Amino acid sequence: MDRLFSRRLLITVIGILLPLAVLALPSKPQPPRLVNDLAGIFTPAQTYALERALVEFDDSTSNQIAVVTVNDLEGYEPEEYATRLGIDWQVGSAEFNNGIVVLVKPKTSFSDGKVAISVGYGLEGAIPDAYAKRIIENEMIPSFKEGDYYAGVEKACVVLMKLAKGEYNYADGDDDETGLMIVAFFIILFVIFIFILIISGKKGGGGNGGSSGGGLDDVTKGIIIGNILGNNGRHSTGGSFGGGFGGGGFGGFGGGSFGGGGAKGSW
Amino acid sequence: MKKGLITILVIAAVALAAFLWVKSVYNSMVTADEAVSAAWSQVENVYQRRADLIPNLVATVKGYAAHEQETLEGVIEARSRATQITVDPTDLDEEEIQKFQQAQGELGSALGRLLALSESYPDLKANENFKELQAQIEGTENRIATERMKYNEAARTYNTMVRSFPKNIIASAFDFETKGYFKAAEGAQEAPKVEF
Repeated sequence: MDRLFSRRLLITVIGILLPLAVLALPSKPQPPRLVNDLAGIFTPAQTYALERALVEFDDSTSNQIAVVTVNDLEGYEPEEYATRLGIDWQVGSAEFNNGIVVLVKPKTSFSDGKVAISVGYGLEGAIPDAYAKRIIENEMIPSFKEGDYYAGVEKACVVLMKLAKGEYNYADGDDDETGLMIVAFFIILFVIFIFILIISGKKGGGGNGGSSGGGLDDVTKGIIIGNILGNNGRHSTGGSFGGGFGGGGFGGFGGGSFGGGGAKGSW
Repeated sequence: MKKGLITILVIAAVALAAFLWVKSVYNSMVTADEAVSAAWSQVENVYQRRADLIPNLVATVKGYAAHEQETLEGVIEARSRATQITVDPTDLDEEEIQKFQQAQGELGSALGRLLALSESYPDLKANENFKELQAQIEGTENRIATERMKYNEAARTYNTMVRSFPKNIIASAFDFETKGYFKAAEGAQEAPKVEF
């Protein structure tokens, strides 16, 4: 009991000290995520929907769009901050340098809102600075002015996806293998699940129903079934992101580099 | 006889080890040196990119604010001065970089004054061509900051290598000289602020 407590204390202390040790820029998210709402301007559902859409885009085209929100730019210009994040986190693949960082610093009563789009070396041709500027001014800032951060970011991502798709529009070879592995994994899971069902059914003996010891309860079964169904029945829902259950997570940033292309804006 | 053979073998082994060490250190220095040169050429590229945008920008502004002769000519002069100064990538010492940085810094402030002009010319500010050029120049300023940062990092890696013991012995034997840095503070002052 005592050892458990001291371990927890240690973890808590590390948890408090770790952010202090990291200077200025937020460190690469662990596990990797494409949506990093450090300013807390999205609802969990919005973060989830955006993450899903961006992961899917990464899976299908290999372009990585990272969305980051922060409350403080630590004295950097927004575009410089976004570029440094992109370099630091290595957004995009090492081969194509096809990463994009969308950075939003929300407006507060005492400071302007700032936004920047930083484009990786490989996408500078598909998304020139003037395009990035237009996305910021036409898609993002009008929504931001109304306080709807999600709508602005979502619209910007839709346009960025269209532009980036024109440059690199294919999945990596090994991505297909990952897809197969996921399918195989779910088949195995399904078999094990059926197996457990049979065993627990035998053990519990007719009368006891759901509360038989050792077996899975109904909620867990539901989740597993839901997961399997959800993964097979993935739909795209028109222009905006939403819906969809389960699916593979983000595989991680790929080693892309940035040269500082892109644009910024403020409101 | 046997003793002599052992001695020769030991000497040969030591010589071989020394040779391999020198070889690996020398080659890693060459690699680091090349990385610095590559980073430098990227720096020159992005400055050139900015210089290439200027004639177009000046022409566009002239159409709306022809009587701002002084500012316009200031930019053109600063541009020609800045493009004249190039640095030999094999000789990147502190002084050369300083000269380069100063000339580019002057061009940066002249450019900043020119862009600030647009505030008093609403027609110019609304011009699509001007907006596009402005976005490109902003993007280029960030590219300059980025490539300078990358150059400084490459130079720091290289300098650490050639100055730390015992590699510095090999560095001085083969004339690997330390590289100069960009001064961050000055750069921050020189960067034109383009606000909307």
